Amino acid sequence: MTDLLQLVFAGLAQGAVYGLVALGFVAIFAVREIVNLVQGEYAALAGLAAISAVGAGLPLLVAIIVVVPLVVGVAVLIERITIAPIKKMTPLTSIILTLGVSTAVKALMLLIWGPEAKGLPNFPGSDIVLGGVSIRSQELWVLGIAAIVGYAVIWFYEHTVRGKSLRACAEQPIAARLVGISPRTATVVAFAIAGFVGAVAGVVGSPIYLSSWTSGLTMGLKGFVAATLGGLTSLRVAMLGGLALGILENLVAGYLSSGYRDAVAFVVLVLVLLFKPHGLAGKSSGVRV
Amino acid sequence: MNHMLRRQLPFVLLAIFLVVFGMVAPQNVVDIGVYALIYGLAAIGLSLLMGLAGQVSLGHAAFIAVGAYTQAVLVSKANLPFILAAPISVVAAMIVALIVGLPLLRLRGHFLALATLGLGIIIGVIVTESEFLGSTSGIYGLPNISFGGRAYDSAQEYFMLLTPFVVIGLWLAVNIVKSRTGRALSAVNDSETAAECLGVDTFALRLRVFVLSAGYAGLAGVFYAHWLTIVNPSVTHFEVSVKILLMVVLGGLGTVWGALIGAVAVQALDEGLRALVPILIPSAKGEVQLIGFGVILVMVIILMPGGLAQLWQRLRSRFGPAGASRLGQHEHEITQEEQRELLDKSLGILARTDHEPVGTTILEINGLTKRYGGVTALDDLNLDIKAGEIVALIGPNGAGKTTAFNMITGVLPPTEGSVKIHGKEVAGQLPHVAAALGATRTFQNLQTFKSTTVLGNVKVARHLRSKAGLLRGMFMLDRAEERHIETTAQAAVDAMALTPLADHPIADLAFGKQRQVEVARALALEPSLLLLDEPMAGLSGPERDSLSWLLRKVKATGVTIVLVEHDVAAVMALADRVAVLDDGKLISLGTPAEVTNDPVVIAAYLGTDDDAEASPKDRVTTQGGAQ
Repeated sequence: MTDLLQLVFAGLAQGAVYGLVALGFVAIFAVREIVNLVQGEYAALAGLAAISAVGAGLPLLVAIIVVVPLVVGVAVLIERITIAPIKKMTPLTSIILTLGVSTAVKALMLLIWGPEAKGLPNFPGSDIVLGGVSIRSQELWVLGIAAIVGYAVIWFYEHTVRGKSLRACAEQPIAARLVGISPRTATVVAFAIAGFVGAVAGVVGSPIYLSSWTSGLTMGLKGFVAATLGGLTSLRVAMLGGLALGILENLVAGYLSSGYRDAVAFVVLVLVLLFKPHGLAGKSSGVRV
Repeated sequence: MNHMLRRQLPFVLLAIFLVVFGMVAPQNVVDIGVYALIYGLAAIGLSLLMGLAGQVSLGHAAFIAVGAYTQAVLVSKANLPFILAAPISVVAAMIVALIVGLPLLRLRGHFLALATLGLGIIIGVIVTESEFLGSTSGIYGLPNISFGGRAYDSAQEYFMLLTPFVVIGLWLAVNIVKSRTGRALSAVNDSETAAECLGVDTFALRLRVFVLSAGYAGLAGVFYAHWLTIVNPSVTHFEVSVKILLMVVLGGLGTVWGALIGAVAVQALDEGLRALVPILIPSAKGEVQLIGFGVILVMVIILMPGGLAQLWQRLRSRFGPAGASRLGQHEHEITQEEQRELLDKSLGILARTDHEPVGTTILEINGLTKRYGGVTALDDLNLDIKAGEIVALIGPNGAGKTTAFNMITGVLPPTEGSVKIHGKEVAGQLPHVAAALGATRTFQNLQTFKSTTVLGNVKVARHLRSKAGLLRGMFMLDRAEERHIETTAQAAVDAMALTPLADHPIADLAFGKQRQVEVARALALEPSLLLLDEPMAGLSGPERDSLSWLLRKVKATGVTIVLVEHDVAAVMALADRVAVLDDGKLISLGTPAEVTNDPVVIAAYLGTDDDAEASPKDRVTTQGGAQ
């Protein structure tokens, strides 16, 4: 029982990181219908950059405050350079394009930081034991920050006029333009949010899960799987999906073999696409995908 | 025949070039060549998938890995000879693709791409975890391939061994693009709805192409395994998939030849960057070539979406003979006499004789309803259409006419209700089901296949009247059928007096002409039930007269016609019965005379204001004109 709780709790923390990445996928897909394969790289980039900043002598908090906006800037810059010039964006083009960007970013990180995985120092605090379950203070940080950031993003999209108008852009671009929302601004905002949640996921997760030039690939894919649970449009289900995925992965790693951890997400992906392609909460009839 | 020989010439030249290259090029260059050909095989397959199925696999390395590992197991553990093991390995890769494609290819867009990316990771995890497959160190000690007393153990020898496989692989792929399957899938990429309405089962064809493309990757895996004599988890890595994708994108999406050219370019780039980057950045190690892959992938998509093939086309059009100017040639029109002669001849070729006897119910619509949220676009439509009649559906804009058409043909699933064609339920099924029962349609907003010619558009409609599958197409065993498709499609083009335009790209035609192509296309299917959505819009007066005349002729051969039309004068002259829709409801049904005198219809068109001056006819025509 303690084992189970231990695995579930560790999974919850890891899942919170996936959930944040998943929010990034939904943030962009809801506005531009693009599956942004760069999403995971934001996390890897933020983690590696923060490690360097700390290595250069900056206090952890300052490093994070510098790095997160920097990654947001990079996310927006990449959008301006690569996504904006494309006139007719088909799913095929967007996938190839964002895959290309993600490959280039990965390679840059390899050239700058080398192939080894590194971790940020733990955030302050001491580990605790609760009912036999040992909880790392970093895991509490991950959960707390993910809860705040996740709630803020969901609140922004669902309760503010500006947030709602972003979604309107995807559904009715012309109508949105008529009421004064430019698709250009909407896209920039969406990428900024995606960069932000990605960067936060990268820095809070780095002390436990480490950062490397390849960590963006698996993290991005798992975030995507979580986002798919919400049909790529529901922020709430995406966040919850991330948590569920994290727990499931840890259970598989704990009870079967840790080697199979990375396969869990994709088995889930295939099952979801097979039975509920519109997401767990989505309707399965109506317009075909 | 001459044309057929010309089509083979490039392959002969390629084979000669490769053989000469393999003999004279220096060792280290041939080394690169071997890898280019191995990955080139996989790229040819991926190019088919992307060009024809419009889908991308981001985990193509997974299929190479399945081929390579299966081969390694069969050869080094089961001691099978190469010749026996290779086909099994290729089939293994195809089976994996079948399992993945079966659920995923029904979904459009990005799902297959991401699922294959996931597949790459799953396969990577499996081979790393499996002790049977040698975990991280893999399976080593594979023998060199040898047969006919010849061992293919040097780069030169291996290059020679690969050459026939690559040339034949390319030849088969090009044949597929030009076959019935290729034509249908290319139509799907232009307009999925229109292609499905002509009977193309998109899912079934895409699945076949996906499985075939995995077969190419599996073959690449076989050669990869024997060349390296070791297979380890690195073959599943993401870098391999990106590399193959780059080969296809750089070569030019949709061109199979481009994939091979791209393979050579990317392999050279790969080797070059691995050598160059560590010189520029001494600390660099690992997969440094990825920086070039990523940057080039992005640049090609932004600056040159057609890849090297696009560049080649541009060079050819600049320096080659100027292409005949296309526009301005339509001027020489066919006279009405000529057209009527042509039509009679065409109907002789196209008219089926197995139509149901006049008067039997061919289309039964019961309680057909479509709601969008709170809005009811079509409300409880009940209508029976009898074989051999012309029924017109009229009504103001937004009355639900096109919605009804969409549900009858399977373009939209109904909220409620049933549609039976020849007694078979089609409601909620995909359009190709209705098409297979002999029901096809034209579209209010044009749905032509923009990447081909007028004749090319019409040929797609022969899909259901021909049956060469992927294999027959690959091995060019479809020649007789292709000739028949050509003749019958030409007959449909002639029937619509489009003969002088047959070889023009459809995109160059005026709106009204494109509409006529849609009618020709629908006729070429030899339908028993023809649904025309505003066929007269954009046509000149004489063209409208010709069309009415033609539709009567078509009806006389036993075809049932349902049309949505705003030109009420034409409708009243043509239709046997008229159904009037208003605000989603059927408000009147009867002969043209009955309907024009129906007070409900007059009220619907004019409002209840008795002082209104316009007649129903004027009002309707204005509506049509305003479109």
